[in-house]
Amino acid sequence: MKTPIQTYLQTLERDLWLRGLHDPQALAEIKSHLLEAVEREQARGLTLEEAQAAALARFGDAKIVAGAFEKERKAPMQKILLIIGLLAGLFLAYVDALPNWDDTGVLAGMLLLTSGLLTLLGYRRPWLMALAVGLWIPLHDIFISHDWRMLLVLLIPQVGAYAGWAAHQVFRKTLKVA
Amino acid sequence: MIGETLKGHLDLLLLAVLQSGPAHGYAIIETLRLRSAEVFDLPEGTIYPALHRLEAQGLLASDWSDDTGRRKRVYRLTPKGHEALSQRQQEWRRFSQAINQTIGI
Repeated sequence: MKTPIQTYLQTLERDLWLRGLHDPQALAEIKSHLLEAVEREQARGLTLEEAQAAALARFGDAKIVAGAFEKERKAPMQKILLIIGLLAGLFLAYVDALPNWDDTGVLAGMLLLTSGLLTLLGYRRPWLMALAVGLWIPLHDIFISHDWRMLLVLLIPQVGAYAGWAAHQVFRKTLKVA
Repeated sequence: MIGETLKGHLDLLLLAVLQSGPAHGYAIIETLRLRSAEVFDLPEGTIYPALHRLEAQGLLASDWSDDTGRRKRVYRLTPKGHEALSQRQQEWRRFSQAINQTIGI
Protein backbone atom coordinates (compact mmCIF):
# COMPACT_ATOMS: atom_id res chain seq x y z
CA MET A 1 0.00 0.00 0.00
CA LYS A 2 1.26 3.45 -0.92
CA THR A 3 2.00 6.09 1.69
CA PRO A 4 0.41 9.55 1.29
CA ILE A 5 3.88 10.86 0.38
CA GLN A 6 4.25 8.30 -2.44
CA THR A 7 0.75 9.10 -3.71
CA TYR A 8 1.53 12.83 -3.63
CA LEU A 9 4.80 12.35 -5.51
CA GLN A 10 3.03 10.28 -8.17
CA THR A 11 0.37 12.97 -8.58
CA LEU A 12 3.01 15.68 -8.81
CA GLU A 13 5.03 13.66 -11.33
CA ARG A 14 1.91 13.25 -13.47
CA ASP A 15 1.00 16.96 -13.20
CA LEU A 16 4.55 17.96 -14.15
CA TRP A 17 4.57 15.49 -17.04
CA LEU A 18 1.28 16.85 -18.37
CA ARG A 19 2.88 20.31 -18.40
CA GLY A 20 5.89 18.95 -20.27
CA LEU A 21 8.10 19.38 -17.20
CA HIS A 22 9.30 15.87 -16.49
CA ASP A 23 12.13 16.42 -13.97
CA PRO A 24 13.38 13.43 -11.94
CA GLN A 25 15.92 15.64 -10.09
CA ALA A 26 13.19 17.98 -8.84
CA LEU A 27 11.08 15.02 -7.74
CA ALA A 28 14.02 13.48 -5.86
CA GLU A 29 14.59 16.84 -4.15
CA ILE A 30 10.93 17.14 -3.18
CA LYS A 31 10.84 13.57 -1.89
CA SER A 32 13.86 14.31 0.30
CA HIS A 33 12.16 17.48 1.58
CA LEU A 34 8.92 15.68 2.45
CA LEU A 35 10.70 12.82 4.24
CA GLU A 36 12.70 15.33 6.29
CA ALA A 37 9.52 17.26 7.09
CA VAL A 38 7.80 14.05 8.28
CA GLU A 39 10.77 13.21 10.53
CA ARG A 40 10.70 16.70 12.06
CA GLU A 41 6.95 16.54 12.67
CA GLN A 42 7.32 13.12 14.31
CA ALA A 43 10.10 14.49 16.49
CA ARG A 44 7.59 17.11 17.66
CA GLY A 45 5.30 14.32 18.84
CA LEU A 46 2.96 13.69 15.91
CA THR A 47 2.10 10.18 14.77
CA LEU A 48 3.35 9.04 11.36
CA GLU A 49 -0.04 9.68 9.74
CA GLU A 50 -0.36 13.11 11.32
CA ALA A 51 3.22 13.97 10.38
CA GLN A 52 2.66 12.99 6.74
CA ALA A 53 -0.55 14.99 6.57
CA ALA A 54 1.13 18.05 8.13
CA ALA A 55 4.15 17.83 5.80
CA LEU A 56 1.93 17.59 2.72
CA ALA A 57 -0.33 20.43 3.88
CA ARG A 58 2.69 22.73 4.31
CA PHE A 59 4.16 21.72 0.97
CA GLY A 60 1.04 22.67 -0.96
CA ASP A 61 -1.32 21.02 -3.39
CA ALA A 62 0.43 19.13 -6.22
CA LYS A 63 -1.40 21.17 -8.86
CA ILE A 64 -0.26 24.46 -7.28
CA VAL A 65 3.33 23.24 -7.07
CA ALA A 66 3.30 21.96 -10.67
CA GLY A 67 1.76 25.28 -11.72
CA ALA A 68 4.56 27.17 -9.94
CA PHE A 69 7.16 25.11 -11.81
CA GLU A 70 5.40 25.86 -15.08
CA LYS A 71 5.19 29.57 -14.34
CA GLU A 72 8.89 29.81 -13.47
CA ARG A 73 9.98 27.92 -16.56
CA LYS A 74 7.63 29.49 -19.05
CA ALA A 75 9.73 30.94 -21.81
CA PRO A 76 8.55 32.97 -24.82
CA MET A 77 10.22 30.31 -26.97
CA GLN A 78 7.47 27.85 -25.99
CA LYS A 79 4.78 30.08 -27.49
CA ILE A 80 6.85 30.78 -30.60
CA LEU A 81 7.44 27.06 -31.24
CA LEU A 82 3.73 26.30 -30.81
CA ILE A 83 2.76 29.08 -33.23
CA ILE A 84 5.30 27.76 -35.79
CA GLY A 85 3.76 24.29 -35.35
CA LEU A 86 0.25 25.67 -35.88
CA LEU A 87 1.25 27.60 -39.01
CA ALA A 88 3.16 24.61 -40.42
CA GLY A 89 0.15 22.35 -39.75
CA LEU A 90 -2.22 24.77 -41.50
CA PHE A 91 0.19 25.05 -44.45
CA LEU A 92 0.40 21.26 -44.79
CA ALA A 93 -3.41 21.01 -44.67
CA TYR A 94 -3.60 23.66 -47.41
CA VAL A 95 -1.15 21.67 -49.57
CA ASP A 96 -3.12 18.49 -48.91
CA ALA A 97 -6.30 20.24 -50.06
CA LEU A 98 -4.83 21.36 -53.40
CA PRO A 99 -6.73 19.58 -56.22
CA ASN A 100 -3.64 18.28 -58.02
CA TRP A 101 -1.70 17.18 -54.92
CA ASP A 102 -1.66 13.44 -54.29
CA ASP A 103 1.67 12.68 -52.66
CA THR A 104 0.49 11.38 -49.29
CA GLY A 105 3.92 9.98 -48.42
CA VAL A 106 5.58 13.39 -48.58
CA LEU A 107 2.88 14.93 -46.37
CA ALA A 108 3.17 12.12 -43.83
CA GLY A 109 6.93 12.65 -43.77
CA MET A 110 6.47 16.41 -43.31
CA LEU A 111 4.06 15.87 -40.40
CA LEU A 112 6.58 13.53 -38.77
CA LEU A 113 9.56 15.83 -39.36
CA THR A 114 7.87 19.11 -38.39
CA SER A 115 6.47 17.85 -35.09
CA GLY A 116 9.74 16.03 -34.32
CA LEU A 117 11.92 19.04 -35.09
CA LEU A 118 9.85 21.44 -32.96
CA THR A 119 9.95 19.19 -29.88
CA LEU A 120 13.63 18.48 -30.51
CA LEU A 121 14.15 22.26 -30.31
CA GLY A 122 12.67 22.20 -26.81
CA TYR A 123 8.87 22.37 -26.98
CA ARG A 124 7.77 20.68 -23.78
CA ARG A 125 4.32 19.24 -24.59
CA PRO A 126 4.68 16.68 -27.38
CA TRP A 127 0.97 15.78 -27.37
CA LEU A 128 -0.01 19.42 -27.90
CA MET A 129 2.58 19.95 -30.63
CA ALA A 130 1.32 16.82 -32.42
CA LEU A 131 -2.21 18.27 -32.35
CA ALA A 132 -1.04 21.72 -33.50
CA VAL A 133 0.80 20.24 -36.48
CA GLY A 134 -1.38 17.29 -37.34
CA LEU A 135 -4.99 18.13 -36.53
CA TRP A 136 -5.80 20.20 -39.62
CA ILE A 137 -5.42 17.55 -42.34
CA PRO A 138 -7.81 15.04 -40.73
CA LEU A 139 -10.22 17.84 -39.74
CA HIS A 140 -10.42 19.03 -43.33
CA ASP A 141 -10.84 15.49 -44.66
CA ILE A 142 -13.52 14.66 -42.09
CA PHE A 143 -15.36 17.85 -43.06
CA ILE A 144 -15.27 16.81 -46.74
CA SER A 145 -15.72 13.03 -46.55
CA HIS A 146 -17.13 12.43 -43.01
CA ASP A 147 -14.58 9.64 -42.68
CA TRP A 148 -13.61 9.60 -39.00
CA ARG A 149 -10.86 7.06 -39.66
CA MET A 150 -8.83 10.05 -40.87
CA LEU A 151 -8.13 10.78 -37.18
CA LEU A 152 -5.58 7.96 -37.41
CA VAL A 153 -3.39 10.44 -39.30
CA LEU A 154 -2.78 12.05 -35.89
CA LEU A 155 -0.60 9.09 -34.97
CA ILE A 156 2.10 10.30 -37.37
CA PRO A 157 2.81 13.69 -35.69
CA GLN A 158 2.43 12.00 -32.28
CA VAL A 159 5.27 9.62 -33.15
CA GLY A 160 7.37 12.50 -34.49
CA ALA A 161 6.67 14.78 -31.51
CA TYR A 162 7.48 12.13 -28.89
CA ALA A 163 10.63 11.03 -30.77
CA GLY A 164 11.84 14.67 -30.91
CA TRP A 165 10.96 15.21 -27.25
CA ALA A 166 12.82 12.02 -26.22
CA ALA A 167 15.87 13.07 -28.24
CA HIS A 168 15.76 16.49 -26.58
CA GLN A 169 15.73 14.85 -23.11
CA VAL A 170 18.76 12.73 -24.07
CA PHE A 171 20.65 15.82 -25.31
CA ARG A 172 19.81 17.70 -22.14
CA LYS A 173 21.02 14.86 -19.91
CA THR A 174 24.19 14.40 -21.97
CA LEU A 175 24.99 18.11 -21.79
CA LYS A 176 24.32 18.18 -18.02
CA VAL A 177 26.64 15.22 -17.43
CA ALA A 178 29.37 16.63 -19.70
CA MET B 1 -2.11 39.56 0.91
CA ILE B 2 1.31 38.79 2.45
CA GLY B 3 1.73 35.82 0.10
CA GLU B 4 1.14 37.94 -3.00
CA THR B 5 3.39 40.78 -1.77
CA LEU B 6 6.06 38.26 -0.85
CA LYS B 7 6.21 36.72 -4.31
CA GLY B 8 7.63 39.95 -5.73
CA HIS B 9 10.53 39.82 -3.28
CA LEU B 10 11.11 36.08 -3.10
CA ASP B 11 14.36 36.21 -5.08
CA LEU B 12 15.86 38.76 -2.67
CA LEU B 13 14.78 36.69 0.34
CA LEU B 14 16.20 33.44 -1.04
CA LEU B 15 19.50 35.07 -1.98
CA ALA B 16 19.69 36.71 1.45
CA VAL B 17 19.11 33.41 3.26
CA LEU B 18 21.92 31.79 1.26
CA GLN B 19 24.28 34.66 2.06
CA SER B 20 24.83 32.97 5.44
CA GLY B 21 26.12 29.84 3.69
CA PRO B 22 25.05 26.86 1.57
CA ALA B 23 21.78 25.20 2.52
CA HIS B 24 19.27 22.69 1.17
CA GLY B 25 15.66 23.51 0.34
CA TYR B 26 14.16 22.47 3.68
CA ALA B 27 16.72 24.51 5.63
CA ILE B 28 16.18 27.57 3.39
CA ILE B 29 12.43 27.42 3.97
CA GLU B 30 12.88 26.96 7.74
CA THR B 31 15.26 29.93 7.88
CA LEU B 32 12.79 32.07 5.93
CA ARG B 33 10.05 31.13 8.36
CA LEU B 34 12.16 31.68 11.48
CA ARG B 35 13.73 34.99 10.37
CA SER B 36 10.31 36.37 9.53
CA ALA B 37 8.77 35.13 12.81
CA GLU B 38 6.52 32.84 10.72
CA VAL B 39 5.05 35.74 8.75
CA PHE B 40 6.52 34.41 5.49
CA ASP B 41 4.66 31.13 5.20
CA LEU B 42 4.29 30.33 1.49
CA PRO B 43 3.40 26.80 0.38
CA GLU B 44 6.83 25.16 0.67
CA GLY B 45 6.55 23.54 -2.74
CA THR B 46 6.49 26.89 -4.50
CA ILE B 47 10.00 27.73 -3.24
CA TYR B 48 11.69 25.00 -5.32
CA PRO B 49 10.72 26.37 -8.74
CA ALA B 50 12.14 29.75 -7.67
CA LEU B 51 15.39 28.12 -6.51
CA HIS B 52 15.67 26.29 -9.85
CA ARG B 53 15.08 29.50 -11.78
CA LEU B 54 17.75 31.34 -9.77
CA GLU B 55 20.11 28.47 -10.55
CA ALA B 56 19.25 28.63 -14.25
CA GLN B 57 20.04 32.38 -14.12
CA GLY B 58 23.46 31.58 -12.66
CA LEU B 59 22.76 33.27 -9.31
CA LEU B 60 22.84 29.96 -7.43
CA ALA B 61 24.69 26.70 -7.90
CA SER B 62 23.76 23.35 -6.39
CA ASP B 63 25.32 19.99 -5.58
CA TRP B 64 23.83 16.79 -4.27
CA SER B 65 25.13 15.77 -0.87
CA ASP B 66 24.40 12.69 1.26
CA ASP B 67 26.40 13.58 4.35
CA THR B 68 23.38 13.07 6.60
CA GLY B 69 22.35 9.73 5.11
CA ARG B 70 19.73 11.27 2.85
CA ARG B 71 20.45 12.82 -0.54
CA LYS B 72 19.92 16.56 -0.42
CA ARG B 73 20.43 19.24 -3.03
CA VAL B 74 22.50 21.96 -1.42
CA TYR B 75 22.37 25.47 -2.89
CA ARG B 76 25.00 28.17 -2.63
CA LEU B 77 25.40 31.72 -3.93
CA THR B 78 27.60 32.14 -6.99
CA PRO B 79 29.75 35.29 -7.43
CA LYS B 80 27.00 36.56 -9.77
CA GLY B 81 24.47 35.78 -7.02
CA HIS B 82 26.47 37.83 -4.48
CA GLU B 83 26.48 40.78 -6.88
CA ALA B 84 22.76 40.45 -7.56
CA LEU B 85 22.06 40.28 -3.82
CA SER B 86 23.92 43.48 -2.97
CA GLN B 87 22.28 45.28 -5.88
CA ARG B 88 18.81 44.12 -4.79
CA GLN B 89 19.53 45.03 -1.16
CA GLN B 90 20.38 48.58 -2.26
CA GLU B 91 17.23 48.78 -4.38
CA TRP B 92 15.16 47.53 -1.45
CA ARG B 93 16.71 50.07 0.90
CA ARG B 94 15.82 52.95 -1.45
CA PHE B 95 12.34 51.55 -2.11
CA SER B 96 11.45 50.92 1.55
CA GLN B 97 12.78 54.35 2.61
CA ALA B 98 10.61 56.00 -0.03
CA ILE B 99 7.54 54.03 1.06
CA ASN B 100 8.16 54.80 4.75
CA GLN B 101 8.57 58.51 4.04
CA THR B 102 5.43 58.53 1.92
CA ILE B 103 3.18 56.79 4.40
CA GLY B 104 4.70 58.60 7.39
CA ILE B 105 6.34 55.76 9.35
